[in-house]
Amino acid sequence: MRASAGRQLVLDLQPRTALGREDFLPAPCNQEALAWIDRWPDWPACGLAIWGPPGCGKSHLAQVWRAVSAAAEITPAALRTLSPREALVQNQAVIIEAADGEFDDEAEVGLFHLYNLARELGATLLLTGRGAPARWPTRLPDLRSRLAALPAVAIGHPDDALIEAVLVKLFGDRQLAVSADVIRFLQARMERSFAAARQTVDALDERALASQRPITIPVAREVLAEVGHG
Amino acid sequence: MTIWGRPDTMLAAQWTHVRARLRAEFGESTYNSWLKPLTLTEVQGDRARLAVPTRFMRDWTDTNYAPRIRELWAEEGDQIKSVEVIVEPSTAVAWPAGGPPARPRIAADPAPEPVAADPAPTLSAGGAGPGGGIPTASLDSRFTFANFVVGRSNELAHAAARRVAESKHAPFNPLFLYGGVGLGKTHLMHSIAWHIRELDPSRRVLYMSAEKFMYQFIRALRFKTTMDFKEQFRSVDVLMIDDIQFIAGKDSTQEEFFHTFNALVDQNRQIVISADKSPSDLEGMEVRLKSRLGWGLVADIHPTDYELRLGILQSKAEQLEAETPSKLLEFLAHKITSNVRELEGALNRIVAHATLVGRPVTLETAHEVLHDLLRANDRRVTIDEIQKCVAEHYNIRLADMHSARRARAVARPRQVAMYLAKQLTPRSLPEIGRKFGGRDHTTVMHAVRRIDELRSTDPSFSEDVELLRRMLET
Repeated sequence: MRASAGRQLVLDLQPRTALGREDFLPAPCNQEALAWIDRWPDWPACGLAIWGPPGCGKSHLAQVWRAVSAAAEITPAALRTLSPREALVQNQAVIIEAADGEFDDEAEVGLFHLYNLARELGATLLLTGRGAPARWPTRLPDLRSRLAALPAVAIGHPDDALIEAVLVKLFGDRQLAVSADVIRFLQARMERSFAAARQTVDALDERALASQRPITIPVAREVLAEVGHG
Repeated sequence: MTIWGRPDTMLAAQWTHVRARLRAEFGESTYNSWLKPLTLTEVQGDRARLAVPTRFMRDWTDTNYAPRIRELWAEEGDQIKSVEVIVEPSTAVAWPAGGPPARPRIAADPAPEPVAADPAPTLSAGGAGPGGGIPTASLDSRFTFANFVVGRSNELAHAAARRVAESKHAPFNPLFLYGGVGLGKTHLMHSIAWHIRELDPSRRVLYMSAEKFMYQFIRALRFKTTMDFKEQFRSVDVLMIDDIQFIAGKDSTQEEFFHTFNALVDQNRQIVISADKSPSDLEGMEVRLKSRLGWGLVADIHPTDYELRLGILQSKAEQLEAETPSKLLEFLAHKITSNVRELEGALNRIVAHATLVGRPVTLETAHEVLHDLLRANDRRVTIDEIQKCVAEHYNIRLADMHSARRARAVARPRQVAMYLAKQLTPRSLPEIGRKFGGRDHTTVMHAVRRIDELRSTDPSFSEDVELLRRMLET
């Protein structure tokens, strides 16, 4: 790592992300997903899939749900050696994030059995991914048809109000003070996606720390030009 | 002690007035993001409490807007001197069109009921762990013969299943049901179990997945209770194993199953097996087992035809007690041809969604809810496509999207295209401006505001824009 003169070396400390129900930003694009989470256990099937672009709040919703359901989190890799029975005896609810990845055969069979058993026992699964379950690269036909039949709810593209709120939240998570003017400036000029909001805030965070300068509109303009979301 | 009360009508009216002034002062965008979500909840003396849905929204509004709210309120009357912002997550979901007023329970797909009658015998050995023995099998209460819709593709399998369910002695052994995924094999097996239970509760029926059979067997090996394991399985009157293909390549489980199978057949006890392929096509299965599986009646279930799909949907809609237009069922029967599970799942999703948002089930809802199933991919619309589509629609030249001409005939369509670019793509406003002949981002903002205004005052114009949006999105 190289620290040029006048720039402070920046340690990559992960910000503490607020993931409570009170920290979740309700907006038109996520209100259906949020309503299903709030409605648990009154769900129409043994599982629910929430899908949407990176940074749209899937994991946040999963954590909100975990707080009420006491769900266990199972990684796709752990599905390979999982005993569905033991998993569901301990927890009546299970979260699998990034469920849209390429699974190997063992993991697919693991998820298949977990699904069947959840259905049999009345337990619930929450799956998240970037695309819809019907389009996940599932090879096992039995699993593919189960995933396609699962209630799936999308988180859509953010509107202006949500982008502003996301910017404020991300700055807040990093304990950075910014003015309302800066937020408005960014909102009107950056790409309107969750990922762009995150990248922009990260870049501004780093710049503020390195240059020991507050985040002002001129700084925001410079950084926007650099990250290319302007 | 502080007692907070509901604001009276005078204060409520003052608050409405304050909101209107905030809106004028801060502009539409800021108002919608931060000020509109504020709800006046309580008042105590000269203090007013405003609720927002999230913690950081509270911090943000408190720092940036609360002082101004207080000033404005002071101009409305003498009572309110301070304003407090609090968090109330329940104010979170703002539904369009009034939202779901009541909360009807969603009973679309209830969990199956555990079978209470005649639990399987428990293992006597203490080593089997808590609740040892065969875990109680669960039968899905909806999977009965009454709910099974018969068509050409499944009539043989259905007739064979009924025969088995109605006979005291095995008419053919085993009954081997096979077919592609989601065509109703499990439904038939559960139906057999329910029917036998109804006719003669003393008969011992054991239904389980092959995975569960294997799990039980491995457990018995581990706890050295294989004798009990054998005893349990060999003492049932009817044994049903679902998805036998899952013991492919598991040699010792297959061997155990082979012996269980023979023991039961010798005593003329009924065996029902399901698989995704015919016995001879099963891979990773011992030859002697494959040959045994083909001894009795092998019945296959074919993919469904349109009439059967429609019949299944009608039956499912009745079970869900949902008002479903026949046009919708026809549409689904036509579009979702893969298998019954996905077909029923689709209807289930539509009905659940309609219940959630408190709106009737319509064909439009179906398009909206099932767009992931109905469309091959989620292709993103590009600004170029929007410009082309809008230019064609208004019959202007594509070049006019980038030109400096200000004549209404080209300026309005250009604004519509900018508006749609903002709605349908995540591109930044400066980038949209560049794509429209190097215009400034404020020009794009102006266009968006202008189209918003026109849409709210001119319904036919609004429909026109909506039509364009739909054309681009599908």
